[in-house]
This record gives sequence, structure tokens and C-alpha cells, in this order.
Amino acid sequence: MATVYINDKAVDIGDKRLNLVQVAELAGVTIPHYCYHPALSVVASCRMCLVELGEKTPDGSVQMQPRVVPACQTPAKDGAVVQTATSKSKTAQGQTLEALLLNHPLDCPVCDKAGECKLQDYSYQFGFAESRMVDEKNTPPNKPDLGPNINLFTDRCIMCSRCVRFTREISGTSELHIVNRGTHSEIDVFPGDPLNNKLATNVVDLCPVGALASKDFLYSHRVWNLKTVDSVCPGCSTGCSIHIDANKDVVYRLRPRENPLAQGYFMCDDGRLGYHYANSKNRLSAPKIRSGQEWKETGWKEIVSGIDNDLRAVAAVNPKGVLGVLSPFLTVEEGFLLAQYLKSLSKDARLALGPIPVTGEDDNYPKTRNGQPAKVQFTIRQEKCPNRKGIEAILQHFEGKIVHLRDSLQGEKAEAVFLTGGYPPSTQSWLEPNLAKGISKTPLIINQDLFENAVAGQSKYLLPAAAFAEKEGTFVNHAGLAQGIKRICSGPRKGRTDGQVYLDLLGRKGLLHAFSLHKEIASAVPCFAPLLTMGPQGVNLEKGS
Amino acid sequence: MVVEFSLIVTLATIIVLMACLNGLVAYLTLFERKISAYVQDRVGPNRAFFGIVQPIADGIKFLLKEDVIPAHVDKFFYLLAPAIALGTAFLAIAVVPFGSTLPPPALVDHRPGSTTFGKMVFPSVTLELEEVLQADRKFSQDSKTPSYEEKLKKYNATFQCVVSPGVDIGFVFVFAVGSLAVYGIILGGWSSNNKYSLLGSLRSSAQLISYEIPMGLSVLGVAVAAGSLNMERIIHHQVENGWNFIFQPLAMILFATAIFAECNRLPFDLPEAEQELVGGYHTEYSAMKFALFFLGEYTHMITTSFLIVTLFFGGWHLPFLTSPDQTGLFAILIKVGITCGKMLAFIFFYMMIRWTILRFRFDQLMNLAWKVMLPLSLLSFLALAGLTHFRPLGNLTPWVMPPISLGLLLGAGLLGLILPKSPTRSHVPNLGHGSGGIGPVCQTNQARLEKVEF
Amino acid sequence: MIKPEEITWVKPPTFGLMDQIYLPAIISGLGTTLGHFAKTVFGGPQAKVTQYFPEERPELPANYRGVHRLNRDEEGRVKCVACYMCSTACPAHCIDIVAAPSPWPDREKYPEVFVIDELRCIYCGMCEQACPVDAIELTSLFDLTGLSREEMIFNKEKLLSVFDQTVAMGKDPVRTKAGRLSVASEPAGDGLTDSSSVQS
Ligand code: SF4
Ligand code: SF4
Ligand code: SF4
Ligand code: FES
Repeated sequence: MATVYINDKAVDIGDKRLNLVQVAELAGVTIPHYCYHPALSVVASCRMCLVELGEKTPDGSVQMQPRVVPACQTPAKDGAVVQTATSKSKTAQGQTLEALLLNHPLDCPVCDKAGECKLQDYSYQFGFAESRMVDEKNTPPNKPDLGPNINLFTDRCIMCSRCVRFTREISGTSELHIVNRGTHSEIDVFPGDPLNNKLATNVVDLCPVGALASKDFLYSHRVWNLKTVDSVCPGCSTGCSIHIDANKDVVYRLRPRENPLAQGYFMCDDGRLGYHYANSKNRLSAPKIRSGQEWKETGWKEIVSGIDNDLRAVAAVNPKGVLGVLSPFLTVEEGFLLAQYLKSLSKDARLALGPIPVTGEDDNYPKTRNGQPAKVQFTIRQEKCPNRKGIEAILQHFEGKIVHLRDSLQGEKAEAVFLTGGYPPSTQSWLEPNLAKGISKTPLIINQDLFENAVAGQSKYLLPAAAFAEKEGTFVNHAGLAQGIKRICSGPRKGRTDGQVYLDLLGRKGLLHAFSLHKEIASAVPCFAPLLTMGPQGVNLEKGS
Repeated sequence: MVVEFSLIVTLATIIVLMACLNGLVAYLTLFERKISAYVQDRVGPNRAFFGIVQPIADGIKFLLKEDVIPAHVDKFFYLLAPAIALGTAFLAIAVVPFGSTLPPPALVDHRPGSTTFGKMVFPSVTLELEEVLQADRKFSQDSKTPSYEEKLKKYNATFQCVVSPGVDIGFVFVFAVGSLAVYGIILGGWSSNNKYSLLGSLRSSAQLISYEIPMGLSVLGVAVAAGSLNMERIIHHQVENGWNFIFQPLAMILFATAIFAECNRLPFDLPEAEQELVGGYHTEYSAMKFALFFLGEYTHMITTSFLIVTLFFGGWHLPFLTSPDQTGLFAILIKVGITCGKMLAFIFFYMMIRWTILRFRFDQLMNLAWKVMLPLSLLSFLALAGLTHFRPLGNLTPWVMPPISLGLLLGAGLLGLILPKSPTRSHVPNLGHGSGGIGPVCQTNQARLEKVEF
Repeated sequence: MIKPEEITWVKPPTFGLMDQIYLPAIISGLGTTLGHFAKTVFGGPQAKVTQYFPEERPELPANYRGVHRLNRDEEGRVKCVACYMCSTACPAHCIDIVAAPSPWPDREKYPEVFVIDELRCIYCGMCEQACPVDAIELTSLFDLTGLSREEMIFNKEKLLSVFDQTVAMGKDPVRTKAGRLSVASEPAGDGLTDSSSVQS
């Protein structure tokens, strides 16, 4: 049992090994820090976290050290007394900021970080209002080609070295270095070795100031105009927790969300930059129905009743001819509703799992440049879909087994196919030619996808699907971790989210609120019972069993 | 049928009067705009021949504008409302004299031994009428004065500057028809299906109904003094005895005030207060339908101005210039001129008041009607009735009324000073939350909250 | 702190008898209105304040808040750095900016598109106050008309042309800080060292 006193407030830290920044956080006190990051090694290079430290002696008196110490580098021990707001610490913090700002260009108006910049925040909270600098500032040239996705505004850097440590410790690729000395230090890469690893853009989030900028987001919006929701990256089965930043129905960027249950602190560039399809103009935008060779746009009312009538007609004649294809991009709730609907037509209606896109091998980080095997910190998975496990559980419940589309096409001939897609265009070939051929023979195809797919030409109904930023629901990642995704964009004006369509098909009234369905799902499919306790970090469905 | 009815003369009068009224209304708008401008140191409408053609241009614009009927209105009542508003305004003018008039002859009972001997009678039974007429003829022969029938003949032969001469209910008719105008406003506001319109019309109905009471009470004195409700007789009474406003100044003031409220003029224009209600009951009206409301309002203004001129300012009478005996064409013209001049002067007064006094708050408006004007008019009427009955000073009795009026006015003022004030807005608790205040409930607010009893 | 002796407590006026009976007040009020009326009617042209607008054009004060302009720098380039401060400050949400990397070496960002919906604008001047480089200003041009809504949506070129027009007319608006530009918009070295308003 160790007790630490932060500004006279006692914090019991048990036997955890924490530094003073972390302990202060527990006490609700912010110790400003730049170079310290929980995922990286501690270097104590920025000196922003200077605090006064002392010790409570057994007789109860307090012995303070004569100098200030960096909190990030000081392990908390029993009886430590920390003062963050004394004039000594304050002076230290203010002076550090003054030094950091000596060469900073103060170009906040054109800086993308403005609004979420630690330098701004701390200057406001802890800094001095005036600069005593009379000399000309250093203006090292910008390095717009630090990497394919990264831009460096060299003069804004405060030399915290977070980015350098990231490339050494997390990605292991070690592209970034500090060159030159003293006030002329700069971040740089070796010629011919750009910052191009698959985790590279994380340094933009790590950078406490606006020095490193993502080319994708560069100048595209001011951060204070963005609205944020918590979501899950649909890029691979790792299921990184993310923030979606969007404004007026346009997704502007994805950022990793700290989640120890999922991926940790970071996300890969494939996922981070892979959201653009959600904003695409080429997406299916309105439900269409085919009469002869012509496509006709109609309202959802006709579409829903049309689909319902057609499917019922098929199910009445040949129940086994109805085939529902559940894509691994559907949420658990959507899969549940669709399965429920198709099974309500006939007990014998068949369900199948849509194709699982797979690219290459699982990609583990840190990479080992020097050949040393390292502890894996981050994995980009080969399975490029977010919810295989969730859909499999649904299929297991409704079909008793997991049938792949490939197999069910070889089985009995389908008379009607309800095909759900939602695959991003990077997996546009998701419907392999032989599968497409198999499906296209079906007389009645109900095709719900983001873009026109291989069987769009043969479909009777072509429905726009909702992208991940436009719907809410639950994804289950490779490890069985169920996490919620939330809606921030409204999607195509005439569109309707997948789940809403299934709800309408079921004839249930009202708007879909996915999370309220959890009770129903949990009682129907027992393995989803933990969903009822799902928090912002998700819940693992496989832990208990 | 006492007074002969001539269709042609009546029709001609109506047509001429209506035409004049419409023209007058058009130019009153110009008049109003010019006066507003002058009061505010501006020049006012000055395009189109110094503004002279402006009303015509306005009229053309009203006619040519798109006639929007919003989709959400109750069409039938929506269309009916302006018609009612204008119709009642025009109807009211039927009994208002706008120029030379004679009082219709009175049939006096000369039957010996009758209970009503020597008094005016209105026999409704033919037999009785015959008897009275016979007695009257006999009396006229005896006293060498013209008989009732001769007087009636003379009356019927002279042109009366009033659409329907000899109406004995007189200004009661004006009030009756005038208060129908509230239907136009209510229907307009309600059928518009718009909350501002509805609020405007509700305010309007409350206001019109409240002010009708002091208005009616204040003129009762005039009727008592003249012994008739007939407006020609009232004018005649003033010709003989002096204008009513001299003898009943308080009644005149109350009546004028009530008129302001009845016409929705500032300071009592709450039904259409633009700043609060967009435009009140006529918010949803445009083009000609709006113009009809407008026309109705100005016509109402003209009618009431004629009315106050007739009731308190001697109608066509101007001392030393006009007398009832002048009946020639020239005299008629002069009398019409005098009446219209007085009317216009009063309208000018209306317009000056508009820029002089601020709009009343609704509670002030109601307080004024019920707590001030109603008791004052009642007291003043009681005083007058008593004086007329007992005549304590003989022929000098009417001169008692002005000091009584002044006394009543001062008394009311004194009472206002002495009586405890009704709570004003500063007593409304500031709860320190909601959109009204910033920050937490502070000490003083708390203290104040504790003092307030709910 | 305001000292107690500097405070004058004003009490609402109490009503006297004359105010209670209204009429004297009304008569004195009528005196005022009639006075103005008479003055205007008989006082000749100089008694009236009316200006005959299209023929007579008013000289508006230089701090009048009319149509916006986008200023140019010495080289004639748009001065705006696309910081979105104006659109953030704008209470009417009528400024729409699309930023892009600037084509010029001496700056990083410039507005590729800069649009103000002059119909939506309430001419509050917040944008002018927010701009760190004094790039946007409200001029004293006030007679802004258009035949369509589209016409009233001013783009960058139009806003720059308003600058040219006002400069040609010699109608520069008053500058911030008593005629001086703010620090950021002055040539380097001019404002950076001598001013204490440089933020640390
Ligand atoms: S670029 Fe950013 S993260 Fe890297 S050292 Fe500089 S301030 Fe730190
Ligand atoms: S003047 Fe006000 S409303 Fe108009 S653009 Fe500027 S900030 Fe917006
Ligand atoms: S505030 Fe000034 S610099 Fe920034 S975007 Fe607006 S006009 Fe441009
Ligand atoms: S955070 Fe402790 S020295 Fe940088």
C-alpha cells in the first residue's frame, strides 16, 4: 500500500508501478507534459512536467527537495509529496514554455493542430503572456516529403522526440532521427528512407504540436468544427477503437482511440486513410428497382413491400430457394434482424456468410531491423473485415452451422438471393467471378451494397447500403471483443441504413436504435449475453466461456 | 312612416358618399404619411407629383399584387373577414350626418287631458295617431304655427346630408354596427391559423369590448341633454344651446379616448402592434384583402370623427355663420364643408397623438378602461342626469357640469396617487436560471426569492 | 472597481397629480410633435433631415459596416491565410472557406475558395475583428443589390474586386487599433519586436 500526496491530496496507488504524471492524473491533477507518452519509453527531454517533490518522514514532517524534478521520470513511491502549483513549479513550467516558444513561429492561424494543440493549451494554462526573445527566430525549411502521408513543419517542432521513439519502439522501422544540435535540432529522415511504414501517421497524433501533419487532413478543416463519435475501424479484424471526426455528413479523418482491450493507442494507415469511400460520390444513392432493362428509382415504401411480396412468393413455393448472404461488414444487430426476417418467411430459408476478404499475412509490429524478435505491440490482420465473428455467431444460432456462400451456392439452387455487401472498394473484387456467376443465375436478386457490384446488372432490387460512419451497431473483432460503432453522418439523402431496411421488412414500427436491440439479441442468442454490459471499451464475448 | 323615403335620393347619396369616402381614405393615407414625416422632420412621399398621385399608385399596386391565400387558412372565414370589416365600417356611416341637417319634426301631444300632454309622442296605433294628428292640426290653427304635417312636408322636401335621415336610434346604431367590426378582426385572426394573428385578434376583441362600455356611457349624457338619440336632433340641440363639449368636457375626453381604442389607433393599437405581433390579425393578408382591412380601418376613423363632431362639436354648426334656416345649395355646401373640416381636424388630432404617446401595455390598457374610464363616465353621467332632473340653478344648470368634470378628473388623479400601486414588473422574481440570467443564483437573488410569495 | 462615491443612484420618477391625470402630459407632448410639425412645414428645406437618396449619396463614416472586402497584400495577392477565424466567429455562419496549400513560397495556406453569403450576413463585423491578418474588412459600401440569391453570394474574386473598388474610391475602412494593422499582418520586423502584444 503506497500513498502519494498530490497537492496535499492523498492518493492510494496500491502496488502499481506508476510515475508522478500518472498518479497526478488519478488525483485529478494535470501535470503538463509533452515528451511522456504511456506507450513510449520515458526520456524526460521536454522538461514540461517539472514539479516540486518531497517526502513524508515517519515523524509526519515533510522534507521537500530543493530542486524541481521531471514528474514523468520519477516513479511514485510511498510517502512522496508532490506540489504542482507552488510558485516554484509554476515558474519552472512557465520558463520551460518560454524556452519552447523561443523558436516557435506562432503561426496558429495556419496550423492544423490549432484547437487541439498541447502547446496552445499549456501556454494558456501555464505560460507567460510575453516573450522576451529579441533575436530572429530560427526558421528551418519545412519538409513536405517526410513520408508519403506525412508533412513536417520543422519550425513548429518542440523536440519532444515522441515521433522518433515511436518509429523505434512501436513500428520498429526507425526512420526518424534528430539531426543537428541545440536550438538547431531538427527531425529528419535519411535520404531515400522516407517515413512510410504502415503505422507512420500515428506520429501525427503523437506530435503534441503541429509539426507533423497528415497530408490527408492537411488544411481540409479546422478541428473545432469537427464533431466526434467513438467507433471501430472497419478495415481489418483487429477492430481498432477509433474516433470518427466528421462535419456536415463528411468524414474528415479517423483517429485511434485508446483502448487497452482492443489495440492499445494506435491504428494503421490503411485503416486511418481508408475511410474515403464513405464520402464517395459514386456510391449507390437511392433504392432502385428494375423493370425490364430499365432501372427505376422508387420510394422505400414500394421497395420494402415489393421485396417482401417477392420473397414471400418464392418462399411459399420453394422455401429452400431463399438464400440470405450475410456480409461480415454487417453489424451484429443488422445480421440478427436480417436472419430473423428471412427465417420468418420460412424455417427452411438458407443463410450464408459472405466472402471474407483476406490480404497477405498478419503484419506484426514492431518490425525488427536488426533481426531481433520483439514483443508484438500491434498487428494489422490479413482478414479485412470487422465483424466475421459476430456474423458467424448469428449464423450458428439461426442455421446451426456456419455456411460459406461458396458452399451454399454449390448446394441447392437458389431462387432468391438477398445479398448484403458493404465492402469498401479496396475489396471491390469481393464477389469473385465464380461466385458472381453462381448468384447471377438466380431469378430474384436483392442486392444491397455501397457500390455497384459484380451482380448489380442482374439484380432486381438495388439498395444503397450504409457505410460504417452512417450506422450504429456492434462489431466483434478477431478476439471476440464486441465494440459499439456510432452514427455521425446521415449517408445518401435517399438512402436508409441496412438495419432500418430489415426492421421495415420485419414490419416493426419506428426507427432502429441498435443498442436497444441488445436485450432481444442476448435472450435469443445466448453467446451475445455480455453485450448487455458493453461499455465504451467494448466487452469480450469469449472471456466467460 | 314618419319620414318619407326616396330611393333615388338615398341611392345617389350613398354612391356619392361611398365614392368620396374611398377617395378620402386613399388621401388620408397620404395625409398620415405626410404628417408622420413632418413630425419626424422628414419630407414624406414626394415622388409622383409631390406625392399627390401616390395613393392612386398604392391602390393600383394593391389591385395588381399577387393575391396570396396561404395554404393553412380557413378559406371561407379568411375571405369573409375583410368584407365584414369593411362592410360594417360603411354601414355605420349611414346615420352619421356629414353636413346640413334639420331635426325631424316632433309630434307633440295636444290632446286635452292626455297623460302625455305637451310631450313628444310616438303613437304606434293608427287610431291613436289620427287622434294626435287631429289635436295637433287644431292646435296649429289655434296658435298659428305650422302643424306637424306641414313641418314634416318641409322636412321631407329639404335634402338631409345623411344617408338615412330621421333615424331615431341614432348613434346607438353606430355603436351596434361598429361593434360588429370586431367580427371581421376575430375571423381574420382566427382563420389565418397563425399565432400572431390570433393573439392580435384576441387582444382586439378584449379591447373593443372593454372600450365600448365607457364609450356608450360617456355619450349617454349627450342623449340626455338633447332628449333624443337622433343625431339631427342632437345637432339642433347644440345649435340652440351651445356645443356639448363645453358643457360635458369629461364626457368628450372619455369618448375621444374610447374612440382611439375602437379604431385601433396608437396609443391603443395593440391588435396590430407590429413590434410584437408582426402585423396582428392581418399578418396573413396581402393585396386587395389587406387593402380592405385598411379601408375599413380608415373608414372607421372617419365615421368616429364625424360622430364626435356631431355629438360634441355641433356638427355643421359654426356660430354666426350657419343656422338651421339656411337650406339653399350654397348653405348646404358650406355646412358640408364645416362638418368635413371639423372631421379632418379631428383626424389630424388622431395622427398627432400617434406620434405623441407611446403604446400602452395591455394591462395598462385594461386598467384604463375598467378602473378609470368606466367609473368616471358613470359618475359623470350620474351627475348630469341629476342636474338635468333637478335643475338646481335653472337656466344656468348646464354650467355646473364643467366644474364637476374637472373635479372628477382631479379626483381620479388624486385617487391614483393615494391608492396602493398594483404590482409592477420589478416584483417578478428573477429566478437566476433559464435564458434570463447568466451564472448561478446569487445571494441577492436568493434573498429576493425568499421574500416573494407564490 | 467603481468607487461608491462615483455611483449616482437614479430613482424612477414618481408620478405627481399632473402626471396621474395624463392630460397635461399629453398636451405638452402634443406641443413637441406640433412644434416639429410646424418647423418642418414652415422651416424651409434646411429644417428637414431627409436626403434624396439616389441623387444625393450619403457620406457614411469610415467605420460603417457594409459590404465586405478581401484585402490584397503589397504584391496584389489575397492577404487571407485561410485560418477560418472569421467563419468561426461569424454568428450567421455565412462564410465558407476552402483552404489549400498556398502556391507562394512565403506562406503555407491560402483560401482556394472564399465565399460570403451577403444575404445571410448580419453585418456585425465579427469577422473583421477575428481576422489575425486584417484580410477581411467591412467597407462603407451599403447599397448592395442583386436580382438573385446567387448574385448575392460573393466569391473571392468579387470580394477582391470590392477591395480594388474601394481603394480606387479612396474609401478605405478604418483600420483596427487606431489606424494600425494588427501585428501579424504587418511586414516582418515591423511589428514583431517592438510590440508587447506578441504572445508567448
Ligand atoms: S515533430 Fe512533434 S512529435 Fe516529433 S519531436 Fe517534434 S514536436 Fe515532438
Ligand atoms: S459581418 Fe458578421 S455576419 Fe457578416 S460575415 Fe462577418 S461575422 Fe459573419
Ligand atoms: S480570419 Fe482573415 S485570414 Fe482567417 S480566413 Fe478569415 S479572412 Fe482569411
Ligand atoms: S513530459 Fe516529463 S520531461 Fe517531457
